Amino acid sequence: MVVVDAGSPPSPARFRGLAGASGRTLTANALLGARFLPVWLATAALAIVASFEAPSAFGNTSWSYVLPYTTVLAVAALGQMLVVMHAGIDLSTPGVIAVGGNLIVGISAGSDHRLWLAILACLGAGALIGFTNGVFVGVLRLNPLIVTLATGQIALAWSSKYSRDNVTANPYVPKALSSWATSKPLGVSAVFWTGIGITIMVALLLRYSTVGRHFQAVGANPRAAWVAGLRVRTHVVLAYTTAGTLYAIAAVLLAGVSSSIDPTFGSAYLLAPIAAVVIAGAALSGGLASATSTWVAALALTFLTQMLVIVGLSAAMQYIVFGGAILAGMVVSGDRVASLLGRWMRPTRPVARAATGGQGN
Amino acid sequence: MQGRKKSHTTRRRRGLVALGVLTAAALAAVAVAQGGGLGIAGLGSGPSGYVGKGGKKVGSGHGFGEVYKAPSATLSHALFSAKLIPGAKKPRNIALAALGRSTKKVNYGLALKCWQNNGCKTGSGGKLTVAYVEGFGENVFRQMSRMEFILQALTYPQIGKIIYRSAHSDLNQAIADFKSMIAQKVSAIVTYPDFGDAMIPVFQQATKAGIPVSTYAWGYVTGPGKNYTTVVGEDTCKLGKVFARVMNKQISAGDIAFMGGFPGNPLSSSWQECEQHALKPSIHVVANDPTNWDPSKVQGIVAGILAKYPHLKGLSYEDSAFMAQGGYAAYKAAGIKYQGVFTYRTDEAALGCLAKKLKNPKLKIYYYTSGNPQIRVALTADMMKLKHAKISPTIVFPIKLQQQSKRSMCIKGYPEQASASSLIPLKLLHRMYP
Repeated sequence: MVVVDAGSPPSPARFRGLAGASGRTLTANALLGARFLPVWLATAALAIVASFEAPSAFGNTSWSYVLPYTTVLAVAALGQMLVVMHAGIDLSTPGVIAVGGNLIVGISAGSDHRLWLAILACLGAGALIGFTNGVFVGVLRLNPLIVTLATGQIALAWSSKYSRDNVTANPYVPKALSSWATSKPLGVSAVFWTGIGITIMVALLLRYSTVGRHFQAVGANPRAAWVAGLRVRTHVVLAYTTAGTLYAIAAVLLAGVSSSIDPTFGSAYLLAPIAAVVIAGAALSGGLASATSTWVAALALTFLTQMLVIVGLSAAMQYIVFGGAILAGMVVSGDRVASLLGRWMRPTRPVARAATGGQGN
Repeated sequence: MQGRKKSHTTRRRRGLVALGVLTAAALAAVAVAQGGGLGIAGLGSGPSGYVGKGGKKVGSGHGFGEVYKAPSATLSHALFSAKLIPGAKKPRNIALAALGRSTKKVNYGLALKCWQNNGCKTGSGGKLTVAYVEGFGENVFRQMSRMEFILQALTYPQIGKIIYRSAHSDLNQAIADFKSMIAQKVSAIVTYPDFGDAMIPVFQQATKAGIPVSTYAWGYVTGPGKNYTTVVGEDTCKLGKVFARVMNKQISAGDIAFMGGFPGNPLSSSWQECEQHALKPSIHVVANDPTNWDPSKVQGIVAGILAKYPHLKGLSYEDSAFMAQGGYAAYKAAGIKYQGVFTYRTDEAALGCLAKKLKNPKLKIYYYTSGNPQIRVALTADMMKLKHAKISPTIVFPIKLQQQSKRSMCIKGYPEQASASSLIPLKLLHRMYP
């Protein structure tokens, strides 16, 4: 599997001691990578537990659910990741997914011929809602939590009305979309391959394109980026607009996977994408994030949900274990492990030792 | 350097063009969506509920402004059989009076307007105001119940105003809505108590203020007859026993699963407990999972159950429509044939039409009615209470499951999410869900 990280903007101050005059040392690079390591280890640990407690979680039936739904969550989480990189948060995800799903069914009216128009409208609506969020947050400097909650509510209300008038009588997505979503090229869901493609593309764009590099620089330190001549506000607007478009893509995939739309369509995606991003190692204060780790976090969350059903825990226990797993993920994620490792690996400085020795003895 | 600048500008332009195209598409979509708005012209008027070919009337007697008679066609449509009305005299009379009102003519245009606007003035000049207040009203079942309530209210000329409130799953909002109805001194309240006993204080407050409060679809809150007027519905424990009877007959031995709504909700736990106890020892309940009545969650739960028990023999659940959506999608994705013995509490057209399409004799579906018309009974109980009638604390309908292969849920022209036993006239239903 190709693993591509979002890349690394200027080293955080805490690693500066490890960096030579010319930039980061190998150790510092390893530590930056370690920021995203816990989610990979946690997912591996989850797989080991599942192999003993719920071996049927590795069967075809289980994967036929886990992989497509992982992809939907991962694509939504990638959008959220772009926003979180700029120290923002986006609570409009369920609203965008609800609007997108309803537009797909409403505009296509079950016809494969109108599907392209429906998908275009879905993406357009996502971009428009994201752009609106971006303008309010990036240009008018309003609180992202409140702004996105409000736009999300407006989107949900509109989709509810639209659904009642245009979708409820025939809630099924066009056959071309549902058939594509259930097809399995190379034995694995087409939705999964699409998600992998999107993840790699986001990761490559962030790491290797000029826009991506600028994007990260603005996220890591907006003031420094502004001093360096980057358009900070434009990048924030871009982050929200791209996020809205990614939520809309998630809506297309979800509509295909579930074959039909219901009034609660998309409601499960309010907090799950945020959880995936944070567990993947991103800091809510902005800065570093990894697209591949976000994908792995989405896989871990979806797999865990499925595993709990297979184990047959009571409803209460399922919620407790799921919540506990998210807390554990939060504790080991981010730079906590990295800073611990940093302290452990930090070379002893002769000057410091001399100073301590001089004072102490 | 200049070339670099040019390429930057070109790229920015391309980005703006892409955003412009997407925005235009979204605006076009909005325009398309707005174009689908509902008109109310040309609806005319007609019976307030399904009357079919009428047939003979069931029941006799009158009192408290009601006639205790209903067309047998209406009863058969709503309850599957004219015999399935409550046995005890008082509840029976209330049920017959309520369902008998289906013959009364109402203005469909006004009903639709009232449904779209979450309330209206009826124009009858009546002095009474009635309210339908619920904790959650955003699914099709509730939307249809709202229309049944409006249609029933329009049959009473003494009702001048209809109010509707949904708390959108917010308990504080639900309590505030209820208190606001008391403050407005409405004449009667019908509710679905989504938050159960948490509503007792406001129920008591309304009762103390002389406002009758009734619940439907077995929206049970402690103390009917004391804390509030009455609860209308079916005996959910009996429903579980009837489910078990079907399983015992159709399955000699094997694994079955239960699914329910929100964790710990009294409806699911009641029928599940009673079904579990009534099953023969050779049938094992291997899974019991809450779905929050969310179709996308249904897909995950069914996929999980099938992963461990691919040879599942049967399944009991409330919502048949969700098993036509998420449930069927899970079977399809897993490559497992959609078959077995399924017992459901509701009768949405979607599953019936799917079963008809699949034509699999091994897919055995048994179902009960969704019970939308029960809200009509709740309103009539309130209206009779206002005329000082003694109302039974519970109005319980007998249960008889229907078999899809003998009586299909799939009714031509019905919206897929609509319950086949609803009394809403088809003409109006089509305007609600075009």
